[in-house]
Amino acid sequence: MRLFDLIEENPSLLLVMQHFDFDFRVGDLTVSQLCKEKGINENLFISIANLYNGFKPKENPIDSVDDVKQIVRFLKNSHDYYRNDKYPQINTYIKQLQENHPEKELKLLERFFNEYFAEVIDHLDYEDNVAFPYFIEFLGNRDNPKSNAYSAQEYSEHHTDIELKIKDIKNLLLKYVSINDDLNLRRKLLFSLCELEYDLYIHSLIEETILIPFGYNMEKA
Amino acid sequence: MNRQRLHIAIMVHSQIIYEGLHAVLSRSDIDCIICKVDSLQDLEDILLSRKVDLLIINPLLLVNREKDVKRIRKSHPHFSIVGIHLGIVDNHSLALLDSSFTIFDTAEQVLSRLQKTGTGGELKFPSNDDNLTERELDVLTQLVHGYSNKEIADSLNISIHTVVTHRKNIATKTGIRSQSGLTIYAITKKIIQIEDVDLQSH
Repeated sequence: MRLFDLIEENPSLLLVMQHFDFDFRVGDLTVSQLCKEKGINENLFISIANLYNGFKPKENPIDSVDDVKQIVRFLKNSHDYYRNDKYPQINTYIKQLQENHPEKELKLLERFFNEYFAEVIDHLDYEDNVAFPYFIEFLGNRDNPKSNAYSAQEYSEHHTDIELKIKDIKNLLLKYVSINDDLNLRRKLLFSLCELEYDLYIHSLIEETILIPFGYNMEKA
Repeated sequence: MNRQRLHIAIMVHSQIIYEGLHAVLSRSDIDCIICKVDSLQDLEDILLSRKVDLLIINPLLLVNREKDVKRIRKSHPHFSIVGIHLGIVDNHSLALLDSSFTIFDTAEQVLSRLQKTGTGGELKFPSNDDNLTERELDVLTQLVHGYSNKEIADSLNISIHTVVTHRKNIATKTGIRSQSGLTIYAITKKIIQIEDVDLQSH
């Protein structure tokens, strides 16, 4: 199947491609051709793309050490997307909204978002600096896995549902905080929140249904 | 539907204008009951026994009637006033109106103005408070002031388990889970005052 057709069907595939470091100019290449060209397990790519289409994989698509590295790279790239694209964008919108409207609730909303953002950065840093290196290192020392103090269990416990507060902000804007007009800005903010919420959701699905179960299996082996 | 039926009172001295408005309204799809009133006193008498959603009035009849209008609005907060301009109107009378049209407007313009004013009134009032119970409101108030589950349990004389249950119900009813989110919720619902929240602290 051509990527071009798949993108037309679900444009959020562009985000999957970006997280996999694919270029968007896909021409007439099929998924299979592109994955081969990029050296990525086709099954892995399809499983993750399917998560964005609402389907969970039946089996763990991780096949090799290289697949784990690809997933970690995918997750790290999505961290960059949150850090450098989505959060600054939402921050700008909330700031702008707060400047346009004197309601004090918006001042609180901005503060709420900033505190939340700081928490998210902590979480992303933790994953980048502690959890992901574990998976990579663990795979390099498969003969002596116990040498590493860290475990998938610990990773799974530390893994918090960071999308919950995004939902709160969205619900506050849709149900409670009253703001007059400014529909363009408010729509842009809500769209951004929904996009972020969705990607965070898929992000935790990848961690919970693919990466963590794989870690458990390896530790048991 | 009965609930959306508009009760309209018309207060103009010109028979031609009254008949004209009556005809425009009767031919429209607005479900309404129309009555003619001759004075604000007349209107107040009617309001004692019947519902009136909307008064269409020649604003000139409001000159020096500010006190009466304010009194009527105070005892009937859902009530709207729409002016029909027949000529020049003073600013004082204009300020007493929710909306207005002129005798040169088309029937559609008149109807759309009336509909927006008559049915939009309900939007001015907040929806009911997501049905939070008294106890849930107590827990919410303490929660947004930063008290722990244990502190809340002690002060309300209930178990920690009950506090947790209340918190779950609050989250389900409001759709808000975090403490910061609930603080903003409580302020928009006027459950707490914004002055209660320290805006400076970080």
